[in-house]
Amino acid sequence: MSEVKEMKRTFIDEVREKLKSFGLPRLIITAFLLLMFIIAPFTGANFWVQITNVINRFSWNAVLVLAMVPMVHSGCGLNFGLPVGIIAGLLGATLSIEWGFTGPLSFVMAIVIATPFALLFGLAYGWLLNKIKGGEMMIATYVGFSVVSFFCMMWLVLPYKKPDMAWGFEGTGLRTTFPIDKYYGGVLSNFLRIQIGRLVIPTGALLFFALLALMIWAFLHTKTGTAMTAVGSNATFARAAGINVDRIRMLSVVMSTWLAAVGILVYEQGFGFVQLYNAPFNMALPAVSAILIGGATANKASITNVIIGTILFQGMVTMTPTVMNGLINLDISEVLRVIVSNGMILYALTRKTEATR
Amino acid sequence: MNNKNKTASSKLLNFLGNNAVPIMFIIIIALCIPISGFSSLFLLNEIVTRLSRNAFLILSLLIPIMAGMGLNFGMTLGAMAAEIALILTSDWQIWGIPGIVLAMIMSIPISIVLGLLCGKILNAAKGREMITSYIISFFMNGVYQLVVLYMMGSIIPIVHTTIKLPRGYGVRASVDLTRIRKALDNVLSVNVGGVIIPVLTLLIIALMCLIIVWFRRTKLGQDMRAVGLDMEVARAAGIDVERTRIISIVISTVLAGIGMVIYLQNMGDMATYSSHSQIGMFCIAALLVGGASVDKASIGNVFLGVILFHTMFILAPKAGAVIAGNEVIGEYFRVFVSYGVITIALVMYETKKRRAKAGMGAQLAAAQQEGER
Amino acid sequence: MRKWVFRIGAVALLVAIAACMMVIGRGHTIYFDNKKLEYEGQTCDTYRRINVFVNGEQVAKLSAKDRGMATFMGQKLSFDIEVTKEKGDDPVTYSYTVNVPYKEDGIILNLPGMIAGLPEEAYTSIFVPMVVEEEDAEEEIVIDEFGMSDGAEGEAAEP
Repeated sequence: MSEVKEMKRTFIDEVREKLKSFGLPRLIITAFLLLMFIIAPFTGANFWVQITNVINRFSWNAVLVLAMVPMVHSGCGLNFGLPVGIIAGLLGATLSIEWGFTGPLSFVMAIVIATPFALLFGLAYGWLLNKIKGGEMMIATYVGFSVVSFFCMMWLVLPYKKPDMAWGFEGTGLRTTFPIDKYYGGVLSNFLRIQIGRLVIPTGALLFFALLALMIWAFLHTKTGTAMTAVGSNATFARAAGINVDRIRMLSVVMSTWLAAVGILVYEQGFGFVQLYNAPFNMALPAVSAILIGGATANKASITNVIIGTILFQGMVTMTPTVMNGLINLDISEVLRVIVSNGMILYALTRKTEATR
Repeated sequence: MNNKNKTASSKLLNFLGNNAVPIMFIIIIALCIPISGFSSLFLLNEIVTRLSRNAFLILSLLIPIMAGMGLNFGMTLGAMAAEIALILTSDWQIWGIPGIVLAMIMSIPISIVLGLLCGKILNAAKGREMITSYIISFFMNGVYQLVVLYMMGSIIPIVHTTIKLPRGYGVRASVDLTRIRKALDNVLSVNVGGVIIPVLTLLIIALMCLIIVWFRRTKLGQDMRAVGLDMEVARAAGIDVERTRIISIVISTVLAGIGMVIYLQNMGDMATYSSHSQIGMFCIAALLVGGASVDKASIGNVFLGVILFHTMFILAPKAGAVIAGNEVIGEYFRVFVSYGVITIALVMYETKKRRAKAGMGAQLAAAQQEGER
Repeated sequence: MRKWVFRIGAVALLVAIAACMMVIGRGHTIYFDNKKLEYEGQTCDTYRRINVFVNGEQVAKLSAKDRGMATFMGQKLSFDIEVTKEKGDDPVTYSYTVNVPYKEDGIILNLPGMIAGLPEEAYTSIFVPMVVEEEDAEEEIVIDEFGMSDGAEGEAAEP
């Protein structure tokens, strides 16, 4: 049977195969983005402003995308449960503000406070994922949703008092969105900020990401790190080599969760607002598709994938509206984003070579 | 061997374990009813309404489960097809029962195309059908928006300004379905002691149940069960596995489309850009609450699920208001419960699958040892 | 072969049903005017009261200068009107059947003109809905990836 099929394979099929391994969707997205950059000046949009936007958005989102890496490495699949870590980050953020920290200190304290929560959530989440090896992605999605919706209740019930965050009247519950100018808004972005004409570079935020990325990179080259990669590429083999698979997986989940917690704080300092309640629902899919656009697969991801993916994804998100609006006065960027990002995830899921387990 | 020394108490424990979710729901509901202070007449009316509204949609989930493809999150595709059909029939001003029938018929070809697509993709992602169908639903939601928000009114003619956005293309966020509102429900509806029973809708649902029972016994239905049990064995038996799986998804999508028309005619109003996205989640949660699992679901699960899940849905906000003094908490609570139930069901399914796998491995090892001796 | 005949038959049946539904389900609105009408020098004055019945059910009760309406499905509507010319007069009953073109959503019938026996084009006119001035600010469409607005499912259902 298979021999006959082999024979029938034509030249076109082979070309298609090659393009596929090269990553056709990635190619299209890169070409699309380049096209956007070329068209942008003709639509009246300033080139440097566009570049600034892309860099800015990159600096907000890169850490969240980085949070995918450990779990992908250990074979836990794409971290659709990103919201679990985000919630830990939000707890850190709100508690840091509640306890009266301001300015850059509030950012540091937010990370410090978020850490135990991230560890705790990560351990529980990792324990669960170890129970259900093979079905991680679907369950991760719903664990994320469950946690977010549980905290929807908590944000209302927990006794937060700080008037900047809580509803003024009755004093019950936190606001859905509140500004953090007085706290850690822009602490990283404004640190060592470079401005050349209309080009603004949020150096601090980029450095912070570089630091975390370096840490992850270094970690992946330690003994534990290579063990993690081994678990991800072949769990049976790793077990035979005497690696405690469950512990390594657990560690990767904790790391991912912590990175997600830090990631949301970095996002907030750039965005300037804290978003609670339903907001974390929407945060997993963009991060997942960003790292896939960057060339990662369900069980292989590198720091380069994170950087390229975030630039491409955020570039697409920021460039399309301006260009589309300037060009045909029709903003289909939102729809385009939904189609492209989910299409990318679908593409990754349907590639036969990559099994999740 | 173990079966023999199973005592009554372990049987009971087993029963409780297998039906944990419905039992939990019955307890929640039993606690909430007195707190909420709703009259039983009101509750009964609501339950009957919601049963007639949702049951058909949930029935559409049964066939992919039979074919071993898990919970079909892609049922939203059918819902989208129904919404496109309803936008068009509303614009053409086809009212009443004819409007409903026309919308159902029009949804079928769209559903078939979407179902074929979905089935093809799922065949390329065997073993992770659920997450894939879940992402497909988002992906197609983007395509749906492209069609409804940009192509309707510009490429697809839309005449009425009540449907079209003021900018000249795109459909408004909400489409008024007053003209077909409850048209189906009101036919033959009877009032039994204050409870209004939409007899025709319930008859249609009953008919669908019969069709599903019949379908299970047909050649195709048997094939699907075989594929659901073990794809490789089915393939060896000469069943075209891929085709069977695609058909199961197509049937599910078509039924979801028809179910969505029934759902929306009862609502009498359509949230163009969000009606479908919630429907998948709620239907799946309801089915699981009824005691179904990812690989096994019966018609009984559907009805028990609708009743329990929706009773909780009605009670939660009021109970939240009484307990915590805040109705919003109740609303968040029911969303939490919906997600929680799905999570628990998925976890239970995966652990069971793993255990079965481990058991099989042990058996294989034992057999091998026997052979070696 | 038989399979295909069966399939084509099923599709044809569905198309036929759909076509049938489109004809019998087409909804129209008819507006009844009790207003003064001038047509080629002929003046038809308003009536003191006109009651409109469709299938024996009263759908409009018109004093002078009033407008009433009725909705129906299909392209043909039969209705009865009960006319009182002056106060104290005995009401006179007329029966009419009008055809509404498929493509029109609504037509206006001038009842005094109809009663006077004027030709069809004199008393019927196409209803043109008033264009409601809408602010340019577009209706906000939230494309919510998760559509998780709270309790959206239950909202519309509450009585």
